[in-house]
Amino acid sequence: MPRILPQVLRNLLRKPATVKYPQVRVEPPKGYRGRPVVDPERCISCWLCIRTCPARAITISKETKKPSIWLGRCIFCGECAEVCPARAITMTKEFEFTTLR
Amino acid sequence: MTFIVPIGPQHPALKEPAFFRFEVKGEEIADVDIRFGYVHRGIEEALQRRDYKHDVYLIERICGICNVVHTTTYCQAIEQLAGVEPPERAKYIRVIILELERIHSHLLWLGIAAHQIGFNTLFMLAWRDRERVMDLREIISGNRVTSATNTIGGVRRDVKPEHVPTILRGLDELEHSTKYYIDLFNSDRTILARCTNVGILTKDDARKFCAVGPLARASGVDTDIRRDHPYAIYDKLSFNVITEREGDVWAKSMVRLREILEAIHIVRQAVKEMPIGPIRIKVNLEIPRNEAIERTEAPRGELFYYALSNGTDSPERVHVRTPTCANFASIKRMFLGGTVAEIPIVIWSIDPCFACNDRVALVDSHTGKTFNLSLKELRKWRH
Ligand code: SF4
Ligand code: SF4
Repeated sequence: MPRILPQVLRNLLRKPATVKYPQVRVEPPKGYRGRPVVDPERCISCWLCIRTCPARAITISKETKKPSIWLGRCIFCGECAEVCPARAITMTKEFEFTTLR
Repeated sequence: MTFIVPIGPQHPALKEPAFFRFEVKGEEIADVDIRFGYVHRGIEEALQRRDYKHDVYLIERICGICNVVHTTTYCQAIEQLAGVEPPERAKYIRVIILELERIHSHLLWLGIAAHQIGFNTLFMLAWRDRERVMDLREIISGNRVTSATNTIGGVRRDVKPEHVPTILRGLDELEHSTKYYIDLFNSDRTILARCTNVGILTKDDARKFCAVGPLARASGVDTDIRRDHPYAIYDKLSFNVITEREGDVWAKSMVRLREILEAIHIVRQAVKEMPIGPIRIKVNLEIPRNEAIERTEAPRGELFYYALSNGTDSPERVHVRTPTCANFASIKRMFLGGTVAEIPIVIWSIDPCFACNDRVALVDSHTGKTFNLSLKELRKWRH
């Protein structure tokens, strides 16, 4: 008899180890590095985040002089949130970026 | 009659395109030829064009599975260049995430190895347990895979006291299941039949071809950078260097499985003994001309970094040698005399940083006719 059989039988009776993702969502833990969001109200336009970003994902809007993050380049390192003196950038728990168009 | 069996270079499932050309006589492998370089990304050149801090994130992307060990080695090399020493607590945190990474890498390896020998139940079980490590890493570093925790002069994130019970609980569960896998590898007939006396690398050959990491240790070569050339705080922790004598695929699996237990042991000690204090120091990154080498023990073996600074804030040269590169020299010896059915597991037994294979073509060297064969069929190919 294969040695793994008892384990297999036990797993048949257990509830699944996975969750049915789109219906059931697992909340990411605290401190998760999801989508960085800029709060233009708090931003003091020091542009430190632009120099810190290793992926050069942050660009400046010409009119408002506030940074905006290009998610196509962002690598979710969280350096910008760490460096911002006004705490205008936060890493949210958002990780689903796919959209339907 | 000799057949040529080419695998790669554009192999849909190879993480790194590599080309294997097997010459087979009937079932037996008579010769193997390996070619690399298809996935040259120019990272070393790109490193010279960024500054030291930005390089950390590029280095992290050399390898997804072992990203922490890459950044740790790089940061240690740069710290050596700048002549600074990271704070004690940072070193402990580095060791914790390094060892969690080793556990996850070995469990990933175990899953794919089980898949390669057609044991998909074990594959599922190993990957289920791997999720536990991924969850721990997510708690500590904020992401499942890329940790972005290391930085020059320390670490960016602290292991908070409230995380410690979760980590310890996760480790207990992992220890339990790893012991079960060790038991399984010692007794299951399928595993023993597919793994023992397959892909043998003798001790002499392991030395001669400069094998590193679990591959060398499975052949009885007692080498481990963590003990021989301690970095971070490995000199303050007690752990055993796991060796096996047989040198076959079974021994390689056993070394990795037992290393998981050692890694769990190391994390437990590190979590317990972690001192309180700062986690990073400020480093002046205009480093005068200097050079440094740094070696660490990655999950796959010795990882080597060379860094040269030139007075500006970007390096003059950073050179990386990954363990897989060192281990490919021994692969020929492991194949010779083996059979075609062994190819997937023997390639995978050196943990070569590629996910899984699914197609090979058999070329009859006399008629030039090509047969295509999916690796699924290859896995079923018995002699
Ligand atoms: S670092 Fe903060 S305050 Fe400065 S520009 Fe960026 S978001 Fe604005
Ligand atoms: S998270 Fe990192 S990559 Fe993304 S915008 Fe901030 S600094 Fe740039």
